[in-house]
Amino acid sequence: MKRFLAVTLGILTAIGGFVDIGDLVANALVGSRFGLSLAWVVVVGVVGICLFAEMAGRVAAVSGRPVFDLVRERLGPRAGLLNLAASFGINLLTLAAEIGGAALALELATGIDYLLWVPAVGLVAWLVMWRVRFETMERVFGLAGLALVVFLVAFFALDPDYGELGRQLTHNPSDDGAATYWYYAVALLGAAMTPYEVFFFSSGGVEERWTRRDLGVMRANVFVGFPLGGLLSIAIAACAATVFLPQMIEVGTLGQMVLPAGLAFGQIGLALVIFGVFAATFGATLETALSSGYSISQYFGWQWGKYVRPREAARFHATLLVSTIVAVALILTTIDPIKVTEYSLVLSAAALPLTYLPVLMIANDPDYMGDRVNGRLSNTLGTLYMILLLLVAVAAIPLMLATKAGQ
Amino acid sequence: MTGRVLHAHLHLLDRQVVRADGRLLCKVDDLEIETGEVPYVTAILAGPLALGPRVGGVIGRLMTGTTRLFRPEEGPAPPRVPMSLVAEIGGAVTVGGDVPEASLERWVRDHLVDPLPGSGGGQAGAGAPRPVRRSEVPVRDRLSSLVGRRVVDRDGGPVGQVADVQLTQDGPLLGETTQALRLSGLVVAPRHTGQLFGYERGPGGNSPALVRVVIRRLHQGSRFVAWEQIGDAGDPIRLTEPRAALLPLEELFTRGDASASA
Repeated sequence: MKRFLAVTLGILTAIGGFVDIGDLVANALVGSRFGLSLAWVVVVGVVGICLFAEMAGRVAAVSGRPVFDLVRERLGPRAGLLNLAASFGINLLTLAAEIGGAALALELATGIDYLLWVPAVGLVAWLVMWRVRFETMERVFGLAGLALVVFLVAFFALDPDYGELGRQLTHNPSDDGAATYWYYAVALLGAAMTPYEVFFFSSGGVEERWTRRDLGVMRANVFVGFPLGGLLSIAIAACAATVFLPQMIEVGTLGQMVLPAGLAFGQIGLALVIFGVFAATFGATLETALSSGYSISQYFGWQWGKYVRPREAARFHATLLVSTIVAVALILTTIDPIKVTEYSLVLSAAALPLTYLPVLMIANDPDYMGDRVNGRLSNTLGTLYMILLLLVAVAAIPLMLATKAGQ
Repeated sequence: MTGRVLHAHLHLLDRQVVRADGRLLCKVDDLEIETGEVPYVTAILAGPLALGPRVGGVIGRLMTGTTRLFRPEEGPAPPRVPMSLVAEIGGAVTVGGDVPEASLERWVRDHLVDPLPGSGGGQAGAGAPRPVRRSEVPVRDRLSSLVGRRVVDRDGGPVGQVADVQLTQDGPLLGETTQALRLSGLVVAPRHTGQLFGYERGPGGNSPALVRVVIRRLHQGSRFVAWEQIGDAGDPIRLTEPRAALLPLEELFTRGDASASA
């Protein structure tokens, strides 16, 4: 019974923790412009994140080594440092976007300008990272993020035109060019497969001291939780496709993104969805901030983690503090958080192979894995995804320039 | 009895160093070697002074430069962890004994983390020993200085560059029972094609075929040089035998397999 509870709780946390500001923005935007014609990208992304998160989680459980240890060990100090710089920069951008998202949710709830909320969000996030236990932190915000299920319910309550949505699955309803379509495909993939998710997932495994015996629970979280999280993402896109696409409204603000829930359930729906958005973005704020500490500590070999007291991981906690301050400062420049999110997604997509190649290599190394090396299916899929991710990485920046970031 | 065979790049460099109680200490940023009659590994070198030269370029110089700036002594050395303390080499390198922590960690703790409320600490760190300083470890005593060096054969013809260093655990005794890792050979790749990623190590399980083929292809024609075949370990490394007498890497592992199954 206890085990069943642990599995269920883990899966629910994974669902609630899957959606962050990136998924929210990308799916709502894409839904309002391209309907469901890009839903297949979410499916591809979810399969990819399941595949690589399972590998990273398995490596963490069997050998106790998190992802950035593997990056440094396989790529060597020079390429590893380059990777660190790229990942850290993108991570910081994502952190800023998440803080901005949480502040915008608070603005929607209170009417007080989001810029006033930004320092408060940063401070509370740091306090949580400083004091709250890892398990508690992950559970509370993951479960609170489940409030976003309201999007799924709202979709059915809005009584959508299923025939039209079905047609969109295969036909692009927009008259924008192919370049724009593919630009958003790249952004969606970046949203579903964000590298920080595997940094956080595998480091979290070490924080919670997974062993071989936890492999079953870990796989349940990944293979059930993530796809259901992906379903939530598609529901966000479907809501936007139902509400905005027929009116030719292009979604540009968080206020518009949460509107479908309000249209379906009035004030209660709005309250729920705003709560969900806040929980999801605040939870992701913690995840990205911690990931910045994890990646830099794991590259240099510093003591990291919340499983020791802060004073025993001094450099790690200093990194968390500094990253949070820098991200808060970035949002306080009044740069549009939604724009920051879009850029961070495309840059994430460009950096994907950097993270996933070492994971694929180590998951095959019997030195680390013993008899738990990859099976044939993981390797075949892993290789296919590596090719795909390389193509995406090459295409991402040119597409961004060619479409003027999706204009 | 033959000792355990490791490869410096593949099994040691860039791995995490962990204390016996599980706390993380540092990375294996470089290895210090004793270049005598029997060359062997004496210590793990850690920190920016060891990592900087390996990163190279402007960034590497910046790393070492900044560190030197903040260190009071003339020609400061990277912190060392003697190999005699190493208990286990696996996915991480476990060390026993009392190894002092990095000075940056101490500084950040004393000046930033401890003053914040709720850091969970008082003055416990005050009594801990400060790291012992030594003078600089010369470049030729660092294992990384071998990697990437050009190799020429007896007649001066090019063989390639050092891609990895083979270590065999049959060197002189360190401490009571552990034998040192002796430098027993070089893996020489014909071109500068980056790291070998371990895929040269033979039919290693069921790795993704495509990745393996690509990396094997890049390192085609790699050869193994036993330490005895080295005439002059300068720069470039001059061998005592012609190129044709060297063992191709592929044969090394097929031979290793045969002896393992026999």
